[in-house]
Amino acid sequence: MTTPTPRTPVPVHSPREAPSPVHSPREAPPSPASSTPGGVGSSPRRPDGTLKVTGEFAYSSDMWMDDMLWGATLRSPHPHARIRGIDVTGAVRMPGVHAVLTHEDVPGEKRYGLEYRDQPVLAFGKVRYRGEPVAIVAADHPETARRALDRVRVDYEVLEPVSDPVRAAFDPDCPLVHEAGEDLPPAHPAHHRSGNRVRYQPVRTGAFADGATAAEVRALADVVVTGEYQVGMQDQAFLGPESGLAVPAEDGGVDLHIATQWLHVDQSQIAPCLGLPPEKVRLTLAGVGGAFGAREDMSMQVHACMLALRTGRPVKIVYNREESFHGHVHRHPARLRYEHGATRDGRLVYATAEIVLDGGAYASTTAAVVGVASSLGLGPYEIPHARVDAYGVYTTNPPCGAMRGFGAVQACFCYESQLDRLAAELGLHPVELRIRNAMSEGSRTATGQRVDMPLPMADMLRRAREMPMPPERAAAGPVDVRALPGGVANTSRGEGVRRGVGYGVGLKNLCFSEGFDDYSTARVRLEVVGGEPAVQVHTAAAEVGQGLVTIKGQIARTELGVERVTVLPSDTRVGSAGSSSASRQSYMTGGAVRAACLAVRARVFELVRAAGLVGDDHPDELLGLAGGKVVSGARGVLVSLADLLGASAVEETREFRHRATEMLDPTTGQGASHTQFGMCVHRAVVDVDVDLGLVKVVALDAVQDVGRVLHPQQLAGQIQGGSAQGLGLALMEEIQVSGSVIRNPSFTDYLIPTILDVPPMRIEVLEHPDPHAPYGLRGAGEPPTLSSTPAIVAAVRAATGRPLSRIPVRPEDIVGIERD
Amino acid sequence: MRSFAYLSAPDIDTALHAVSAEPNAKFLGGGTNLVDLMREEIEQPDTVIDITRLPLAEVAELPGGGVRVGALVRNSHLAAHPLIRERYPVLSQAILHGASGQLRNMATVGGNLLQRTRCVYFYDTASPCNKREPGAGCAAAEGFHRNTAVLGTSEHCLAAHPSDMCVALAALDAAVEVRSVRGVRRIPVTDFHRLPGATPHVESDLAPDELVTAVEIPPLRAAANSRYRKVRDRASYAFALVSVAAALEVEDGRVRTARLALGGVGTRPWRAREAERVLADAPATEEAFDRAAEAELAAAVGRPDNAFKIDLARRTVTAVLRRLLTTDGSTP
Ligand SMILES: Cc1cc2nc3c(=O)[nH]c(=O)nc-3n(C[C@H](O)[C@H](O)[C@H](O)COP(=O)(O)OP(=O)(O)OC[C@H]3O[C@@H](n4cnc5c(N)ncnc54)[C@H](O)[C@@H]3O)c2cc1C
Ligand code: SF4
Repeated sequence: MTTPTPRTPVPVHSPREAPSPVHSPREAPPSPASSTPGGVGSSPRRPDGTLKVTGEFAYSSDMWMDDMLWGATLRSPHPHARIRGIDVTGAVRMPGVHAVLTHEDVPGEKRYGLEYRDQPVLAFGKVRYRGEPVAIVAADHPETARRALDRVRVDYEVLEPVSDPVRAAFDPDCPLVHEAGEDLPPAHPAHHRSGNRVRYQPVRTGAFADGATAAEVRALADVVVTGEYQVGMQDQAFLGPESGLAVPAEDGGVDLHIATQWLHVDQSQIAPCLGLPPEKVRLTLAGVGGAFGAREDMSMQVHACMLALRTGRPVKIVYNREESFHGHVHRHPARLRYEHGATRDGRLVYATAEIVLDGGAYASTTAAVVGVASSLGLGPYEIPHARVDAYGVYTTNPPCGAMRGFGAVQACFCYESQLDRLAAELGLHPVELRIRNAMSEGSRTATGQRVDMPLPMADMLRRAREMPMPPERAAAGPVDVRALPGGVANTSRGEGVRRGVGYGVGLKNLCFSEGFDDYSTARVRLEVVGGEPAVQVHTAAAEVGQGLVTIKGQIARTELGVERVTVLPSDTRVGSAGSSSASRQSYMTGGAVRAACLAVRARVFELVRAAGLVGDDHPDELLGLAGGKVVSGARGVLVSLADLLGASAVEETREFRHRATEMLDPTTGQGASHTQFGMCVHRAVVDVDVDLGLVKVVALDAVQDVGRVLHPQQLAGQIQGGSAQGLGLALMEEIQVSGSVIRNPSFTDYLIPTILDVPPMRIEVLEHPDPHAPYGLRGAGEPPTLSSTPAIVAAVRAATGRPLSRIPVRPEDIVGIERD
Repeated sequence: MRSFAYLSAPDIDTALHAVSAEPNAKFLGGGTNLVDLMREEIEQPDTVIDITRLPLAEVAELPGGGVRVGALVRNSHLAAHPLIRERYPVLSQAILHGASGQLRNMATVGGNLLQRTRCVYFYDTASPCNKREPGAGCAAAEGFHRNTAVLGTSEHCLAAHPSDMCVALAALDAAVEVRSVRGVRRIPVTDFHRLPGATPHVESDLAPDELVTAVEIPPLRAAANSRYRKVRDRASYAFALVSVAAALEVEDGRVRTARLALGGVGTRPWRAREAERVLADAPATEEAFDRAAEAELAAAVGRPDNAFKIDLARRTVTAVLRRLLTTDGSTP
């Protein structure tokens, strides 16, 4: 990546436009923001913002065509069963039913998968999780479709579920979820797939790399702490359920309007299942009501297309809320064992971790999640001797895959808990212990990767500690119960309430890792419309609520000096943008838009030379675009774009790649597997009613380095949202799975934080640019999700003295009634 | 959802005749529970009789100081009503601690009384559930049962009654007025809901053709010093793990009147008569409160996921009484 081209007047980025406390750091580099209003560094309004807050925005579930049919999905009532037969005759005969399809009707490949194609389009042979799709129906009314499902007879031979991930990982006698001889594609040899293991990844450094045992390494430490931890299954809890509309096309292909995170990866999975070439499966992004990883895997994409192609009519499928809980992957629940040893003066000597991630019935992104959990499993600390063993397994539990934080969240809760235990053992302030062992630029991670970008961890920790504390609770006088544990439930008036403070810091990889050829594509067109220059930006990137749609416009304004920018709907008529995940879209699609803009600029400058406005040898560096005009450093305005372009347009398409990464070594786990690192530090302050086990998070303050702020308001939204999602995992969010079945598939029973649970947040943003990234930016969406959880749990521990080794923490854990 | 006939009843007689003519009919109040259950096909009425036009939405003072609440009074309206806030703060608080603002705006008194359990297996038609399908078995006993009851359970059902409002009504000795073509009768709230026993699908004393028309709350001096506490997993908009409705009147350091009912822990809104017995005329001390809580929960049966509620309920009872003691003006 080249450094940004110098350009005309550069106003200093003003964070005062941000509505929330995003502070201008002293370290901010000279900002390359342009003078164009609404450019990089300002907070222009989102083009879809007003529509969303007024309820007029069309989400995917709002789509409608007059002649459309409604699709519905028959799901397995059993988590594990053999299918002996499926009889659809009763359903087919129903008036109003246009198609009833099973696995026998899948025209092409019968399986798909994001990384590993093991998931049946429609179940055959076995069902491996409760809710697995078995048959699909299209009918002229959604209710007719649902009733037709009741008439499909499936003969199941119920099998014992494989519910225990630890057993699945280690017990050779555990039944296999995917039996031998199932004709699955070969697994990556470095993943050590065997039995129910999807991937096993070890990491070894220092003495462990030379084969030392834990006992030998333990002897090097003065103080040792161990811990066993559990992380419950978290849901992304997006509000817009899975939905799509497939429209059959005259060329025998299909147009799918779909809420997804990655149009092209859907296309690459759908086309083989339909037996169609990719160009006959065209996707357009429909309004996405949240994603957080849950839309990276497909849900009904192939189903809607199959029904549309079979019936010759448009087919719409919308999941209801319960179905949605079965229809997308969740965050891997985990069981983890940690050991840390340090010297008396608080230097980490060694650490070990064993991490078992429950991937559920299908692989989804489990292998990549293991890659993150293993490489970042010990966090941002300098540790001479490290040993990590991370396992991702198949069970008959709900499939798990991508969720904000992707494999780094589970480990972060544990290593931060360990650091707190160690600090207590050593009599050190938890921040002090972290600073003594903090990584910084030039450090090497446990996988031997050199951190070749700023990582001001020690400074961030100090800043978090020095932030003003929320006021103490008044000892007397009127009480605002909303500010107390139990809130408006009036459980406490302050008696039995204790305050605690806790810190958390996490290290997150940003962009794709482990050798993935990650790129994004952008097409940018500059032309004159109504006498004014106007820019169109076209990418396939999914706007999932994060605000990429705003960022793309800002970059075009900045690079082309044109205010009027239209961001076209995302579809597969332009090349892949990659996934809206891994905090990567500002970097990747932002980078692609910028590259395409620079190419357009170069073409414009050629036109300037060709028109004789400057000499043939006049270099691009002396030219600029501002206010819709071409300017020269020496001669001021040369020509307006309107005059220069006339009726012609300049259009360029560019692919943007980040630097290459490596696979982890399958035995030592060494390798520069990550593109970029992000970090957030949280300080949580809680009040706990120790009698009734209720927690009120009083403050949840964050320090995050984002390299470069592109849109202060949206950035604040990302940090607040990530912190709130971490709060949810700390205190309430858990999909209850028993006997491999989800017991709370509703927002009545799956609790997410409300405004009464989330405190106001103080946010401090640092901007140490990453020299490898466009504008020096760092992805910002995920890091806060890591650190918020351990900070809150640490604060609750500080208030209660309870060990709290399982999240979410529940009232019964706090009042000391242990659960099994 | 199954097909059903819909009738909007213009007056009470039409509603009563319609329901007596149709054995599988359901009244529709706010619909916040019934419609969900119909969508899941747990309730499958042939006829839905919309009663929201019936003239049963009044809150009126009764001679002698009690209050009569029409069955169609919305939960929000009842919680905000000056008569309730003044005379029965515990009822107002209990309602406000339930559900969300939008739901309370829709939910009616009658519907709240008759809302069904939140046991997760009751909602999962693929699991055996005696309440949904008599004789099928109880999946909660061996499964996930964190939100089930510890008091009043039977081997056939452990489901907790989910209402907050009913807990306060139980403490206040309210009575439910019901009507059918056969006439009017009154049922004490504490008898209105049934213990599961061997017939957990029979949840109340109401006959299928009876309409709840009102709830009457008798005057109670102690109610002026009353409150509702609810322990739950998030700060709002969650069902109770444990809740306590309590009213306390203390004279010369001794308990003159104590009324207690528990939510979240009982198979029905749980009037804590054992605790009240211990408190009767006892010294108003923390020690007595502890003993009272202990006595009420002596019969509780915990299971792995919900045993914590026993201790949590004890603590909550003690905490709420302690709190009432400090607010009761007559206490030294
Ligand atoms: C997300 C969610 C959260 C909730 N949280 C809480 C909570 O925290 N605490 C709490 O207490 N409640 C909670 N509730 C439940 C809520 O209080 C009930 O749904 C509501 O009170 C039911 O009232 P309704 O008028 O809508 O009843 P409906 O749904 O209309 O009816 C419920 C039942 O009562 C019958 N019925 C209604 N009126 C009469 C009548 N007059 N005579 C005879 N039968 C009648 C109906 O036939 C039906 O069987 C929650 C509900 C939801 C959906
Ligand atoms: S506890 Fe009652 S409601 Fe729950 S499964 Fe058992 S019988 Fe059904």
